[in-house]
Amino acid sequence: MPKLFLILGGVCLVAVVATWFSLGADRGWSKTLVPVAKVDPVTELEFTEYEKRFVPGLDFLVAGSAGSLFLVALGLFLGRFARP
Amino acid sequence: MKLILSTVVAVAFLVPAHAAPLTFDFKDAKGVNNVVFQLDAPLESINGTASGVSGTVTLDPEKPGEAKGKIVVATDSLVVPNPIMQGHMLGEKWLNAAKHPEISFAITGISDIKKEGDKGEAKVTGTFTLNGISKDLTVDARVNYLPGKLAERGPDKTPGDLLVIRSKFEIKRSDFGIKPGEATDKVAEEIAISLSIAGAAPKP
Repeated sequence: MPKLFLILGGVCLVAVVATWFSLGADRGWSKTLVPVAKVDPVTELEFTEYEKRFVPGLDFLVAGSAGSLFLVALGLFLGRFARP
Repeated sequence: MKLILSTVVAVAFLVPAHAAPLTFDFKDAKGVNNVVFQLDAPLESINGTASGVSGTVTLDPEKPGEAKGKIVVATDSLVVPNPIMQGHMLGEKWLNAAKHPEISFAITGISDIKKEGDKGEAKVTGTFTLNGISKDLTVDARVNYLPGKLAERGPDKTPGDLLVIRSKFEIKRSDFGIKPGEATDKVAEEIAISLSIAGAAPKP
């Protein structure tokens, strides 16, 4: 059982960090809308359109890492009591 | 009598079409009209846009100093990319979009006009209303009058003119009662606003 928590925590930590890196490694808050700059050809006005896309920010990285480390800590804690 | 009538008709046709003031409608079906706002606080930078622009401006291109009108932005059209921040921004404690659904600028005067062809620059004075509080404000504006360009914008090829207005100015949120003096490390006191809008005056 303790080993399961250790493995789960480790897998979660890797998954969280990999997700954060692969989706842009954004150092701001997480976003659900991504601004895309466009220009109207007639008026030459610049405007922003939003794409609905999830971009994890530092809050995702911190919360995900904390959750993963909690699982690892729980595994270590339970491991101490599981020893004969 | 016939001579008078024919003279009146002739004069009416000789007067250029743009001699009368034109009313430009800023509700843009293409969704191009936008306002960008930026707050740069020591701990956090907030960048967002607003697209719910409407209102009208009446302008005689030959007498731009007499322009009148009002530009309105729907408060609930303000967007920031973070959903939690978006909720806070429009909520009761900040902009209170439910109670104050509009942000507006009503033109009261135009001065320092520099005109070059169909382009111009001027200082526009008006009443800026935000969070239910109105203040007089003078802003720099760049205006571009595009006669006959409306037909190029939409699939229906409506004939008419376009008026493009760009303006950048700064306001203080405390002037408009938005949490004065609170959370200034995360939400800056100064709000930089950049307005980029085009109005259409269709011709029959």
